Amino acid sequence: MTIMYGGAEMGQGANTALPMIVAEELDADWSTVSTEQVGNDLDGVYGNPSIGGILYTAGSYTVEGYFNGLRQAGAQARQILRQMAAAHWNVPVPEVTTRQGTLLHNATGRTMRYGEVATLVQPDMPVEAVADEDLKPRSEWTIIGTDVDRLDIPDKTTGATRYSIDVDVPDMVYAVQLLAPVEGEAPTINSDAAARVIDGVLDVMALPNSVAVLARSFWAAVAGREALDVSWTETSPFRTADSEAELQNLTTAADDPNADAVVWESRGDGGEDYSAGNVITAHYTTEHVYHAQMEPLNVVASVDEDGLGAEIWIGTQSQTVSVAIAAAVLGTTPDRIRLNAMQMGGAFGRRTWFAREMLRDALILSRAAGRPVKLVWTREDDVKQGWLRAATVQRFDAILGENGALEALRHRVAAPSTFQFVQPDRWNPEVRTDPLIMEGSESRDYDIPEFRAEHIQAPRVSRLSAWRGIGWGPVCFGRECFIDELAEQAGSDPVSFRRRLLSNSPRGLGVFDAVVAMSDFGNAPEGRAHGIAFAGYKSSYASGVAEVSYEGERLRVHRFWAAVDPGLAIHPQSYLSQVEGGILFGLSSVLAERSSFTAGQIDQNNFYDYEPIRMYDVPEIEVQIIDSDNPPSGGGEIGVPMAAPAIANAVRALTGAAPNRLPFPRRT
Amino acid sequence: MVNLNVNGRTVEIDISPDTPLLWALRDELKLTGTRYGCGAGMCGACTVHLNGEAMFSCQLRVGDIEGDTITTIEGLSPEGDHPVQKAWIAEQVPQCGYCQSGQIMRAAALLSRSPQPSRDEIVDEMSANLCRCATYSRIIRAIERAAQEG
Repeated sequence: MTIMYGGAEMGQGANTALPMIVAEELDADWSTVSTEQVGNDLDGVYGNPSIGGILYTAGSYTVEGYFNGLRQAGAQARQILRQMAAAHWNVPVPEVTTRQGTLLHNATGRTMRYGEVATLVQPDMPVEAVADEDLKPRSEWTIIGTDVDRLDIPDKTTGATRYSIDVDVPDMVYAVQLLAPVEGEAPTINSDAAARVIDGVLDVMALPNSVAVLARSFWAAVAGREALDVSWTETSPFRTADSEAELQNLTTAADDPNADAVVWESRGDGGEDYSAGNVITAHYTTEHVYHAQMEPLNVVASVDEDGLGAEIWIGTQSQTVSVAIAAAVLGTTPDRIRLNAMQMGGAFGRRTWFAREMLRDALILSRAAGRPVKLVWTREDDVKQGWLRAATVQRFDAILGENGALEALRHRVAAPSTFQFVQPDRWNPEVRTDPLIMEGSESRDYDIPEFRAEHIQAPRVSRLSAWRGIGWGPVCFGRECFIDELAEQAGSDPVSFRRRLLSNSPRGLGVFDAVVAMSDFGNAPEGRAHGIAFAGYKSSYASGVAEVSYEGERLRVHRFWAAVDPGLAIHPQSYLSQVEGGILFGLSSVLAERSSFTAGQIDQNNFYDYEPIRMYDVPEIEVQIIDSDNPPSGGGEIGVPMAAPAIANAVRALTGAAPNRLPFPRRT
Repeated sequence: MVNLNVNGRTVEIDISPDTPLLWALRDELKLTGTRYGCGAGMCGACTVHLNGEAMFSCQLRVGDIEGDTITTIEGLSPEGDHPVQKAWIAEQVPQCGYCQSGQIMRAAALLSRSPQPSRDEIVDEMSANLCRCATYSRIIRAIERAAQEG
């Protein structure tokens, strides 16, 4: 049995979790299930209801968005099989039951496998709709909530899994690009003679943003690129972009009392005076980070002879977006685009809108060359052309009551708009709200009588994209560090102060108390210290504790405990892997991850100057899932927001000095 | 022309001797299980065995290794059943999977040199390979399992 699934597979295990939901209601024999990712969803049946009904995999929306629909789909398919078997056997439908991929008629002892029924001619009869109350109660689940093996793992241990970079089709050629060093500039080819004489080089073509070299092999294309003599228009406004200057501008903006603030969340009567003398103020900065997915971006495109259709192989977080872009580039209709949605070698927010340039380029090249083209970025291209998580400067102002309770809090986030860059057609200039920056800053679980979260929007000076954890990563870092600061000023402690704030959030308290207990919080071994953070993600709840020490100048995170409440975990082992991966993503952003740019060009080049976390920095991690029997939510982001502030607060407890910047400044 | 001994057979390839082994494997021999991650010897996605030792194939020039024995993930075991591969499945290690060929090749070389590695030995050796999904804890568990079950 093959179950098609709409969510795109980037490592998170959607290829197993989504089919598990269908198989549960279908009463399928899981051992016979294989799965396939949907490519071009022309009939619009596979889209995620939580993301406008399109194929778009991001924000941990997959399990959450598909859960109800897939249960219904599985149940409905089972109902149709029962009706067909009943007609075939000439017995009433209610007498036909199912057991693990088999239809049964108990009275006569007849059975049929699902596959046999599917070969029957479907009788002309109305399909009986399955009502929600006819879905299996949780007590009867045998697949959801179990740790079946992931279906994709065997091939990932033998090298057999195919990513788009592995695709090989007849007559295919390779392309690399000499990309504009500064966004928005166009090339002039001074000479390509030296490139064209290199063995294996087939052609050199100018594109809007680059010069492409086509060759019989990737290596020949790279050699051809090195031999090009190209100059650039040098007129881009981004020529002056500088990441240090941006941070200074953001700090100025965050401190400007008259700044044009877009209010994201407001509770209370808004009458608080944050210029009064008793206000506690602090600033936190998060620098730009890059996705560093292990598979550098690449696309394979094969444009049809008439130029009005194409087959595409792409690792994309949105099949729908990729199809729309391809159709627009070729001036054709979506039904002419044959999209092969490939397993992604990581994504983390990088593979959403990248198609609007890279897929476009691959299509132009294939159309011009009249043959399939595999366009590959080198790691250096991938780093230099990064769409970064926006830098933020956050300013917090707070007022404590006489009893030490937090009475008023204003959270200002100075940052450009990521949403405006990635989805300009959906950006509303009247409203200007940016969930990709601000979501998480509403601090919904904290009981604060006067609360305000504001986005001070600055012009963007780099390309931007969501990054694992999205806005929650930076805003929870700032807030949770500040909460420790406030706890100290209130004469309280990190646990009591937060418990009071969480008094109206049972699920919040649930994860918080659990992690305090798991970690034996505050009783770190000699020379180490604990730090705690409460930081959920959308409808998930989480709280984390880090145990740290310094070995000379080197920060060591020895242990990390997390309690997470996703509502319900469909596939617990995948969920745990996601939480752990998210925690390590967050830890990595503390240690060394930093993209900077000078004169419009990203300074870093490769993993030697942009280094994600390696095994020697990995702590012992313990994650407890709290099943609150609420609807399920995804696990992709939830590990990130709690990690950095828990570590920062542990450093604060250890040294008395609280890091207020990501990555942490080097200790001297 | 370059002659290479890959996965137990000798192949003649019409490429320049300064081509990195990685690209000879991927583009010429279509052994795409060996992955390109950085081309700079920093990530280990391209790890293969050269005479039994784990090496970054992006840093080896084919002209320098004629006559050496090269093993890729496709040649590690006949049926994908090397103890390390079995342990990788038992511990459900991969997420996106892109780095895992390299991780498995490095782990297999480690275990053939040091059949019962200490945890520190594992961490020292495996820190050469990046995994952006951060499957590191499961990698450690899988290596310990493979060492035990051999």
